Parts: sequence; C-alpha cells; structure tokens
Amino acid sequence: MIELSESARQRFDDYLHRLRITLRGSRTVQADDVEQSVREHVEIALAGVPVPVGAESLAPVLERLGPPERWLPDDERPAWRRMMERIATGPEDWLLAYLSFSLFLLAMLLFPVVGVFLLLPAYLVSRAYVEFVAGRAEAIGARRWLVYPAIVLPLLFALLLFLVGPVAPLLAWGIGDREFHRPWNLTADEQPMVERLRIEVGLSAVAFGAWWIVASGIAALLLRPIRFTFAPLLDRMQRRHLLFLTLAGIVAAGVGAAVLYA
Amino acid sequence: MNDSFYENWTTQLRKGLLELAILNTLGGEALYGYDIVRRLGEVDGLVITEGTVYPILSRLKNESYVETYIEESPEGPPRKYYRLTSRGREELRRMNQHWQRLHEAIGQIRKERGR
Repeated sequence: MIELSESARQRFDDYLHRLRITLRGSRTVQADDVEQSVREHVEIALAGVPVPVGAESLAPVLERLGPPERWLPDDERPAWRRMMERIATGPEDWLLAYLSFSLFLLAMLLFPVVGVFLLLPAYLVSRAYVEFVAGRAEAIGARRWLVYPAIVLPLLFALLLFLVGPVAPLLAWGIGDREFHRPWNLTADEQPMVERLRIEVGLSAVAFGAWWIVASGIAALLLRPIRFTFAPLLDRMQRRHLLFLTLAGIVAAGVGAAVLYA
Repeated sequence: MNDSFYENWTTQLRKGLLELAILNTLGGEALYGYDIVRRLGEVDGLVITEGTVYPILSRLKNESYVETYIEESPEGPPRKYYRLTSRGREELRRMNQHWQRLHEAIGQIRKERGR
C-alpha cells in the first residue's frame, strides 16, 4: 500500500470503516472485495504523488469516490439498517412516523396503567404526521403501517363508546335494581326466569335503538369535527352513512317493543 | 416538470443504466477497476459517483457475469482485472436488446406526437 501521512492514514481508515459498515450484511456485495478494489483505486489514483501522501491529496480522491453510504441501492441494504438510518438521519416525515409507531408500541407494552397515557401523544403525533403529508400533497404509502395504528385504536374505542353510549351502564344499573321490573307488575323475585329475560332483552333493544337514533343525529351534526379527529380514516364518511345507524336504531327499538308487548 | 423531479428522474435512470454501462465497458476487453471508473467518467451524461461502480462489480462477480484475475503492473500495485464470462456476455446481449427496444419505443412515441 502507498505510504500515507498520519492524518491521511486516519482519514482513509475512517473511510474504509464506513465502507465496511455500509456493505456489511448485503446479500449480493462482498465487502472485502469492494474494500480491496477501493484500496487499489486509491493507490492508482495517488501514483506519482510524493510520499508520504498527505490528507490534502487523499481528500479529492475520496470525494470523487463518494460517501460509501450511498453506494448501495436501498433495497440491497438490510431492512434493520435502513430502519436505523431513517430514524437517525431520515427526513422529518419519517422521523414523525417512527416516533408515532414507537409511542404506540410502548403504549401497548405498558398497557393499561402507563400505556393508556402514551396513547394520546402517539395519536397526536400520528395526526400531525397525516396533516404534514397531506400538506405536501404526498401519498402516505407504506408509512401508513407506522402511523395508522395510533389512530385506529382510539377510533375503535370511540366507536365502542359511541355505540354503547349511556345505555349500557344505565341498563346494568337498572337490571340490578329490584324495582326494574315493577312496570310489568312483578318484582325480580316473583318473575319466572324466561319472563324476566324477555323483559330485559326487550327493554335493552328499545333503549339501544332509541340511543342509536339520537346518536346518529348527534354524529350528523358533529360530522366535520369527527372526520377531522380521525382523519384520514373517516375522510369519506358522509351523513347518509349515519342513516344506517338510524335505521338500525328503528329496527332495534321496534323489535324491542314487540318483544315487550307481544 | 420541475428541477427536483427532473434531477430525481435522471439520477434513477443513471443508476438503472449503470450495470448496462459497466457490462458494455467490459464488452470488448478486460479492464481493471480504476480504468472502468475512468472510462465511465468520460461518458457525457453518465455522471457517477466513482465508488458506486465497485459494489456493482462485486455484485456482477457474485452473479458470475464477470470474473477477476490479478495481473502485475509496471506502474504500481498489482491490478485486479474484470472480464465478462460467457454468462455475462449472454446477459449483456439480452440487456442491450431490451435497451434498444425501449429506445425505439420512446422514439416511436415521440415520432407519433410530432416531437
């Protein structure tokens, strides 16, 4: 190998170290082979330069070779390395996406005590990311898998709360109360099991049906903030979609009334 | 078409064509790495980061499209020469044919549009 000054040697060693790190793990490229070629390249490029070759002579040769980190196409580098690089050096849109997913993952791992408090920041980062991408008129692409989970989970919670509403806790309290069956002239102890069940099912259906009719009206009034909160998942939601809930409410209430008074 | 779009497109195109350019450079004779890099650098429009050539050569060797041998040089260190294998020649022939077809297809489209 050509004789290098101390500073040039240090610089060249650093360069080769970066090269080895970049190529390590590649399925198709032999790091040793490339390193040997680069050594030969540098030696030929510096032939004729007075020895020991200084860093100022070596620098332009390495500059023309370019940063080893850019030598491999993205799909040839190991997936874990690509992910680490994106976290460390990636553009802010990727950083936000990974931050969102990390918070979501942490929330799941620490669920329920601590995790539940991490869901809110995970959701906020995801929503910020969605707005960021939309603002740049970009397609979210595969990054959706990192960002959407933190929006999907709150959406499912909200949907559950929305459908259950105040009805479920009221029914639970009512059925547990001995006076619940009084309007049908019987107390819980006096009624046969089947009869009690009929009353409870009928009342539940009427109560849920009525709530769904009211809830669909509330959702129709608040459609824009709902869409915004769960964008982009509910972007296509229209008021007419809520008619299905209204219809389900009417059917449930009708069936419930029929069960009660049949 | 804005500048960044154009630059991105030309970069991707150059990257995609680099294997073809390297194989064609080796089409006539065996060359050592530095010489391949130098010759590609002289081609107008094929501006490359010199180092990108070496991983491609390694990959082509891995795929048995090229083979290497060491030869002493009177002007410096021993040099690693690259030459096409018969498999590499066949692949180059196919790639050149495909490139020709693409070139003609784009030419045909441009002709039809009167450009």
